[in-house]
Amino acid sequence: MHNLPIEAANFIDLNYMNVLYLFIVGFIGGLVSGFIGSGGAFVLTPGMMSLGVPALVAVASNMCHKFPKALVGAIKRAKYGQVDVKLGVIFGIFAEAGVFYGAHIQEKIKTAFGDAGSNLYVSVAFVVVLAVVGGLVLRDALKTYRSGNTDAEEKVPALARWVQSVNIPGTMVYFKSLNAKVSVLFIVPLGFATGMLAATIAVGGFLGVPSMIYVLGAPSLMGSATELVVAFVMGLGGSFKYALHGLVDIRLAGIILAGSLFGIQLGAIGTTYVKPFMIKLVMGVIMVIVLFSRALMVPVYLSQLGLIQTLTETTVKILKNTSFAIMAFALLTGAFIVLRAMWQGHKAVRAVAEEEVLENA
Amino acid sequence: MAQQYGGVKKKPVGKMMVYGVLSAALYTALLTNQATVTALFTRGAWYALLPIATAFAFSFVHGGFTGYFWSVLGVEATKKSVRTRPEEKRTFDRERPQPQPRLRARV
Repeated sequence: MHNLPIEAANFIDLNYMNVLYLFIVGFIGGLVSGFIGSGGAFVLTPGMMSLGVPALVAVASNMCHKFPKALVGAIKRAKYGQVDVKLGVIFGIFAEAGVFYGAHIQEKIKTAFGDAGSNLYVSVAFVVVLAVVGGLVLRDALKTYRSGNTDAEEKVPALARWVQSVNIPGTMVYFKSLNAKVSVLFIVPLGFATGMLAATIAVGGFLGVPSMIYVLGAPSLMGSATELVVAFVMGLGGSFKYALHGLVDIRLAGIILAGSLFGIQLGAIGTTYVKPFMIKLVMGVIMVIVLFSRALMVPVYLSQLGLIQTLTETTVKILKNTSFAIMAFALLTGAFIVLRAMWQGHKAVRAVAEEEVLENA
Repeated sequence: MAQQYGGVKKKPVGKMMVYGVLSAALYTALLTNQATVTALFTRGAWYALLPIATAFAFSFVHGGFTGYFWSVLGVEATKKSVRTRPEEKRTFDRERPQPQPRLRARV
């Protein structure tokens, strides 16, 4: 690590501060991913770009750290019986198609409207998806919390009951996470949309996990764990695509992976200590906070496209920095809730164990 | 943590050390040969397999190390919270009843 000259693809030189920064962000991102099945990428990509990494290299390197991380997380959570591999692989294949189509749409928008148009498209996608899905997830989590019935078995939502009741001959597949047969035709659009979102905002799980929970009827723990399989399938294909063009900076991917593998193991362990609604709560909170972060950037891109009055350079800088700070805050808040819930769960388990010991004595 | 998943009590210190040394070796090799690695891994075409294979190697070696690391620290999963869907068959698991043709005779 001695600032060797790097010739390929404008890759940045690494110093100790950069390495430490990427390691820490990787750890926090991994912790959240291990818990809710996704997340982290929305901070990692802009985080790398803030170090001077070109956008495409940041996206490619992020993807190349994502699939091995998701693999480790999926294996860990499979040990706890939370992963539905069949659902994850089928969902992931259609998500992969969505990734390629989403990337194609991105390229078209960029060609037609330039960088500002592309950024506006990404921000609007962020705001719309996070407002609708994040609002729904957070509302559901808060409803469960306020009901005081947090220990109760999760009910299958009405939409999922309907989806599971539809029988389309020749397309029905049994999934253990749903304990029911579901037509693959329902998984096609869900997977595709998840992939498209992943190609647009880098976090497909914000759609993948809620769709598994609310549309297919998977329990929160299994939905979030199965999303790791989806992320692995999507990440592997996407990484190979970028690597074919020589865009993956394996040093960045490796350093982020160094931190995120510590985090993902911890996040996965955390899921065994918490009540299922906590998955929804963490996901909902992160999504809603990130929504504000991206919404702040909309005026910047509108101004760059000449659709509103031009903003001053200082205003743009303030908005950009605030947006990034809110994004980092979202990730930290998620990590804090995960660690706190783990600690409380651990205390509760220890109290029960001590009671059992006393009773036996 | 307090209750271990799978009831394993012995801490895997040896395994953690082995995986830790291997992981450190991998990272040292990567970071001390940055220029060579970057030049080789970004050639595209079949060279695309190199970053993918390296990522898998890191996930196996460093993933193993981090797993054992938390185990050695006593941070383990608990059995109590592992929940999946109940096994009983739900009413909506049944296939939809097919319409049966009925004969209606008029007298």
